Amino acid sequence: MNLLTYIVKRVFLIVPIVLGVLAITFLISHIVPGDAAQLMAGPRATPEIIERIRHEHGLDRPLYVQFGVYIAHVFRGDLGKSILTRRPVAADIADYFPATFELTTTALLLAVIVGIPLGIVSAVQKDRILDQLSRLTSVIGVSMPIFWLGLLLMLFFYMRLGLLPGPGRITGASPSHITGLFVLDSVLTGDWRALGDSLLHLVMPAFVLGYAVLARVVRMTRSSMLDVFGQDYIQTARAKGLIERAVIYKHALRNALIPTLTVVGLSYGELLGGAVATELIFAWPGMAHYVVGSMSSLDFPAVMGVTMVIALIYILVNLLVDISYAFIDPRIRY
Amino acid sequence: MLKRLLVIFLLTALVGIFSLTTSASPEGQTLIFGATGELRTLDPHVSVDNNAWRAIYYCYDRLVEYELGTTELAPGLAESWKVSPGGLTYTFYLRKGIKFIDGTPFNAEAVKFNFDRLLGMALAPSGTFGFIDRVDVVAEYTVNFILKEPFAPGVSAFATDQGNIVGPGVMDHEVNGDWGQDWLTEHSAGTGPFYVEEWTHGVRVVLARNDDYWGEPAKLEKVVIKYVPEAADLRMLLETGEVDIGEKLTVDQIEAMKGTPGVTVFEAPSFCCHYVYMNCQKPYLNDVRVRQAISYAVNYDGIINDLWRGTATQMRGPVPMGLVGHDDTVFQYQQDLDKAKGLLAEAGYPGGGFTLRIMVAPVIPEWRPMALVIQESLAQIGIKVEIESYAWATLRDKLDKGDFDMSHGYWTPDYADADMFTWFWFNSENWGLAGNRSWYKNAVMDELVTRSRTEVDPDRRLGLFRGIQWIGTSDAVYLYLLQTNYQIVMRDWVRGYVYNPMLLNMPNFPDMYIEK
Amino acid sequence: MHLSTLESDTKRRSSRDSEWRSAFRSLRRSPLAVLGLVIIGVLVVLAIFAPLLAPYSPTTMHLSERLSPPSSKYLFGTDDVGRDILSRVIYGSRISLRICTLVVGLTIGIGTILGIISGYWGGWIDELIMRISDVFLAFPALILAMAIAAALGPSLENVILAMVVIWWPRYARVTRGQVLVLREIDYIVAARAVGVHNRRIIMRHILPNCISPVLIQATLDMGEVLLTAATLSFIGFGAQPPTPEWGAMISLGRNYLRDNWWYATFPGLAILLTVIGFNLLGDAARDILDPRLRHGAR
Repeated sequence: MNLLTYIVKRVFLIVPIVLGVLAITFLISHIVPGDAAQLMAGPRATPEIIERIRHEHGLDRPLYVQFGVYIAHVFRGDLGKSILTRRPVAADIADYFPATFELTTTALLLAVIVGIPLGIVSAVQKDRILDQLSRLTSVIGVSMPIFWLGLLLMLFFYMRLGLLPGPGRITGASPSHITGLFVLDSVLTGDWRALGDSLLHLVMPAFVLGYAVLARVVRMTRSSMLDVFGQDYIQTARAKGLIERAVIYKHALRNALIPTLTVVGLSYGELLGGAVATELIFAWPGMAHYVVGSMSSLDFPAVMGVTMVIALIYILVNLLVDISYAFIDPRIRY
Repeated sequence: MLKRLLVIFLLTALVGIFSLTTSASPEGQTLIFGATGELRTLDPHVSVDNNAWRAIYYCYDRLVEYELGTTELAPGLAESWKVSPGGLTYTFYLRKGIKFIDGTPFNAEAVKFNFDRLLGMALAPSGTFGFIDRVDVVAEYTVNFILKEPFAPGVSAFATDQGNIVGPGVMDHEVNGDWGQDWLTEHSAGTGPFYVEEWTHGVRVVLARNDDYWGEPAKLEKVVIKYVPEAADLRMLLETGEVDIGEKLTVDQIEAMKGTPGVTVFEAPSFCCHYVYMNCQKPYLNDVRVRQAISYAVNYDGIINDLWRGTATQMRGPVPMGLVGHDDTVFQYQQDLDKAKGLLAEAGYPGGGFTLRIMVAPVIPEWRPMALVIQESLAQIGIKVEIESYAWATLRDKLDKGDFDMSHGYWTPDYADADMFTWFWFNSENWGLAGNRSWYKNAVMDELVTRSRTEVDPDRRLGLFRGIQWIGTSDAVYLYLLQTNYQIVMRDWVRGYVYNPMLLNMPNFPDMYIEK
Repeated sequence: MHLSTLESDTKRRSSRDSEWRSAFRSLRRSPLAVLGLVIIGVLVVLAIFAPLLAPYSPTTMHLSERLSPPSSKYLFGTDDVGRDILSRVIYGSRISLRICTLVVGLTIGIGTILGIISGYWGGWIDELIMRISDVFLAFPALILAMAIAAALGPSLENVILAMVVIWWPRYARVTRGQVLVLREIDYIVAARAVGVHNRRIIMRHILPNCISPVLIQATLDMGEVLLTAATLSFIGFGAQPPTPEWGAMISLGRNYLRDNWWYATFPGLAILLTVIGFNLLGDAARDILDPRLRHGAR
């Protein structure tokens, strides 16, 4: 089938999953102990006020009705109102999303840009010093608790040595808001001070967040390169006398790219999860941070909204990965 | 004659030189405050959160204010006031010629609107003014408050954040009968020396100076309240000077900071009390002897000297020291394990043998170690304690439902009257979150706390308070742990800070300035 | 997939025995695998013999010596209520082991059963189970675990429960995949046609051949389970005081990082080493047990 049909088919398959995701987040936030109406009303409210609020927010209707109403709202883009901030959850998410996006994307870029070459070098230099070292750091990388690494790095580079700035996205004033992505906004407005400031602030969190993915990318690239090296046609190309570098780059890399792409796609979910701890440690005002806050305060509209958005992003990324497979390798489009 | 002229000339010169040096309160003044708690709303009629009050308080004025650095009341938006002989009517005579930040005039109508809004929205802050029956506009600048019954500390309520006067201009932004709440969550609408210029969620709130302020203008041009969620980070920022002033650091961190060059640690006793609620409706705890045994078992010294490093004092009864009405002769429990064991045996539980749960919340990091000490102390008399950590909102919910055995808590007074610690803590009408978190019921106590509210004779009031404190202590209604010192850390170049125990998390921004 | 197709039961069993024996031999030859085994071995020993090995009780508070640096008296220093960190780390191994075995054990149990049902019977039940799996897999693991743990209330048991709820789809998938292939094998098709009881087919032929891939996945997962549980405790949804869980300890030590670095460092080291051990073992298991790699070009 052609690419377009494949895409359409995949998108259709997503719909029931999305509904399932919504259902699960809805259910979870209703297991939450604590009376939502009471929370909204505050500690010194009388029972009458609590009842009034309960009725206002439709909390006294049966669960399936509430769910139906919720879905209808979601499709309109209305994710409800946060109990704590009293703003629309969608607005809160829009506020915090760019920070998380900037962080996870930088981490991903770091992992890929550093990881793939490292993996290639590792494969070429198989079993030599460089390879052993990179394999060691790989194993450590996937075994490292992110939050611990973050703390240690902060201790050394910020507290003891003062080489890198402290927590937060930026020390001085933030660049004028265009996208909310500080790096991009600084470039767009020519605010070079803000560019330097925000880049420096990105170093530690992005490294911490991306380290595990980096390790995985290196491993995956290395092993798929090795697999491909062993293939017959590569041996043939070598026997024919093609230059070593041409052999590597042209044939091996292209074929090794697919498993690496898998890793990258799957890792995005890990990045979103890892962002939680990273944002907490580095005081990064992003969505993951917001999630923890709303979960701790039992702000269930916010919890539902954010969990759903994060899951949707993850689904979207996986979809994109699937489509890129189909694009790269026509055999996959069954 | 000549000598006199010379003296006058010298004096004038001195004054001149003096004023020159002190006008090193220059322009370009921005104060950066590091806050570890994020605020959720700027609406004074919604918020009961000190983190929000810090930003809100100085954007508004109140009818009555605290005299700088004291708990005494002084005129605010009201030039003067009088209380009717029976204590049922408060009349306030308002200042003239004041405008809200949006230009609407301040007058009696505006005051009436403000209280209509507060009581109409009927959210948490309205509880502070529950004693008001209605508000009447008598003249353009005269307003009457009619009370339901006499309330001795009534006038002090007007100096709290709940008494902020919100301008009627908010109604221009009203949506669906919400009294402009959606808009006021993110803006300020007061007459105060500052106003909210910007609020970037999760990052900072910026207060800008109100240049049209009716009173003494602030020296600071801007106050940036920067959200720094980690106390450890705040400490770093203070040391590097990126933040000028910060509070709510842990005792250990402050200890480590004392001696850092360029950093000043300010410490003073406060009325903030950390105590433990003992649910009197639950088995075991419903027996006063068990509660007394617990009170005798706790290692108070360990908590105060080791955990709090001496920055707190043991509470003596329910009313904090320094507050009018505190009785210094009230009994104070000390650790006496033998007495504790004896009481347990009397109550029918020789050697203990039962389990109690105690709640803590991660937002107050000091509670966990205290709970651990209590756990160890009670283990010595045979009571097993299980520590349960809950999210703040869940904990408050359980308190309100009575779904707990013991729980940590803290309390700060809204107004400087012992009533804040007696009415709320002991009246059986206030079971749950409202204040009586030990779910205690005692008809005699109910009578005493109610009468102390309405009693207008100060001596008789003191007598009532004495009785309340004695019963509260001998009945061991709460575990009276500690009264903490307030600590705030600032850079040396911050000047003008004056401590007010009633305004704990609201440093006096209007008087502060930077001098580098 | 490695199957002894036309041999009798006994012969099959004995050849599988020699399979395991050769597996152990190759394990011994790889130094990294041995390292992994040693690390996990130490963990198990610490967990079992904790009361004997730990110098102090993990809950005794030496208040006047709180926040003491590592010394001969307290090898890893003391925490903010004066408890010996070394003892707490040692006792923490019990908790970590418990978490890993419970989560992996339960998810294997649930996932394998559902996977076999799904793969063997197919049809609408297969669709149903797979759709539900998809929905759960659509969430980033930590986020969903956090949501469930937050909803149920913070406790170690709830964290374990939350993780089991999230993790089972992986095993269901792996098992189902295996079953789908196995189902088409000649003699199984024949057995079904002849009318051999389903249960017998599953127990004797299908289940044993699912062990390898499941085992690989399990050893690879152990480390991730520990990391997720530690992260949840770090955020605040997991173990409650005074439980000496490593992630929770790091969370508490966070505020003391500057002046009392030992508080957060040693538990983190424990997590790192343990997860490395699991990962090394997992790699070795895959290298040995995964027939594709064994017989493929390497």
